[in-house]
Amino acid sequence: MTVGYATDDRPALREEPGPVRRRRRAIDPLPWLLVSPLMLFIIGLALVPAAFTIGASFFRVQELNPPTEFNGIQNFVKLFSDSAIVSSMGNTALYVVIGVVLSTVLGIVFAMVLQQNFRGRSVLIAVLILPWALPGVVEGIVWVNIWDGNTGLLNSVLTSLHLIGHYQVFLGQNQLVTILLIEIVQVWQITPLSALLILAALQNIPGDLYEAASLDGASPWQIFSRVTLPLARPGITVAMVQAVIATLNVFDQPYVLNGAASTGSSLTMETYFVSFQSLDFGEGYALSLLITVVTLIVSFLVLKLVYRPVEF
Amino acid sequence: MTALTAGAARGTVRPRTGLRKRTHWLRWAGIAFIALWTLIPLYWTLNTSLQTDAQVSSKPAYYVPPTPSLHNYATLLTGSGDVPDSIRSSFVNIMIECVAATVITVILSTLAAYAFARMQFRGRQVLFYAVLATMAFPAYTTLIPLYKIMTWFGLVNTYTGIVLVYVSGFLPLATWILYNYMSSLPVAIEEAASIDGAGRMQVLRHVVIPLAWPGIVSTAIITFLFAWGQFLFPLVLSSDDSTEPLTVVIASLQGRHVVPFSLMSAAGIIAIAIPAVIAVLLNRFIVSGLLTGSVK
Repeated sequence: MTVGYATDDRPALREEPGPVRRRRRAIDPLPWLLVSPLMLFIIGLALVPAAFTIGASFFRVQELNPPTEFNGIQNFVKLFSDSAIVSSMGNTALYVVIGVVLSTVLGIVFAMVLQQNFRGRSVLIAVLILPWALPGVVEGIVWVNIWDGNTGLLNSVLTSLHLIGHYQVFLGQNQLVTILLIEIVQVWQITPLSALLILAALQNIPGDLYEAASLDGASPWQIFSRVTLPLARPGITVAMVQAVIATLNVFDQPYVLNGAASTGSSLTMETYFVSFQSLDFGEGYALSLLITVVTLIVSFLVLKLVYRPVEF
Repeated sequence: MTALTAGAARGTVRPRTGLRKRTHWLRWAGIAFIALWTLIPLYWTLNTSLQTDAQVSSKPAYYVPPTPSLHNYATLLTGSGDVPDSIRSSFVNIMIECVAATVITVILSTLAAYAFARMQFRGRQVLFYAVLATMAFPAYTTLIPLYKIMTWFGLVNTYTGIVLVYVSGFLPLATWILYNYMSSLPVAIEEAASIDGAGRMQVLRHVVIPLAWPGIVSTAIITFLFAWGQFLFPLVLSSDDSTEPLTVVIASLQGRHVVPFSLMSAAGIIAIAIPAVIAVLLNRFIVSGLLTGSVK
């Protein structure tokens, strides 16, 4: 066990002649021992379950109503005839569009602020990261206090400013308003990571490119659109992909802020309701698979559309 | 890349004189916006938690507590009754689940990352990509099958079941962060140690782990925060107070609409206190870990 210490790029040591002959090609159990606990978890609790989701979505699986049997694409057909699920598809599309756009725009703005050099910058980064680090459920509670129709901060401020005559109920009335307000809560949570990813990309841009651009008489807007934005594309891409994955799978915020109401229910919420309240697991598998496939496709599209390799 | 918090990093903008005044103004507006956007919601919850019920329902609201009181916190932490009891037991549950998941994840990912970063073995690439591929899938893909598996093994509503699911979910990112961290360490020190006769496990223990310590701390913090934020998995895998973490209990209190806002806010502050302190004090590790984890 103490003999062969091999790494990727160390031919020198391996070929070194010496009294101890190293058996290069003999089976060495140590690496497998080291990775086997990880692989047990990955295979048993990630790969096998994922395969299970794919397979079982083509079966009729109803806990209270056996038998379990193959039923082709019936589960998927059912998804599209269930009005709650169909409306959650629309809701989720809105969550994704609002969430990805807002978190990316804010992420770029925050990153450009943090790219500056000012006193207290590290304190601001500590503050910025807070919403990322807190549980989504509790952030839902935090924002209920703001959006609430009886005691919310928003109502109080708007009435004090005489913008509205009396307190309004914002959540659960109008679909678009409800979704916008819920998604702002998620944007609050995911923007810190977007900002950090974009900031890392901005800091890879050599300072003399800015110098050169401004010496050539470029306006701040031109510098932003011709230098900053194109060169930050790799960071913006990663930020957008994480936003796509988070928003397409949104659960905590609508669940806490709006309950099961159809004005804001998301696809993941419907998966939960279908599987664990209606106990129709077959349909739940089908919906999980659908969300997964859509997430992979949209992430891939964002990657294709936004990513451009950058060389300095 | 990991030097984001280190003040004047490469590529920071020093505006030339002509632009200075305008960018100066914009910069402070931006700083104020980030601070207010982040802190106002948190301040508002703190403010609500320090008021009485009657004060909370006043219109317009009190923007600072008129008679600040820790009464709501006292109720939750020392009072008797349904709500305080479940808050306290779920606080214990979330601590147990998060600490256990973090310890196991960090140990297993350190061992695996060491093998992936420093050893040659058949199937290394295939296994490594299999681990990474699981990161591309949304976590909830496996929600129902994991529930089924835990039912088969009788692990629903046990700490073991929840911790196993957390560990399986966090291992890929943890392994990826540590793999990157260990790969960036110079091999020379490890070579010297092994030439001096140290075995590979000794090299891991006495050379690699001490050198990779910042990466290990990052991984532990990020794993702990992820575990603390979990909701849907424990919602499905727990069925009563014996394993429900704080997040699940708080959401169910909110859903019942019987708990007043002031008390809910205090519960919220209790639930965010630990991750908030970690985030503020150890943000350096979080930033470096997240960036090694995502930008490649």
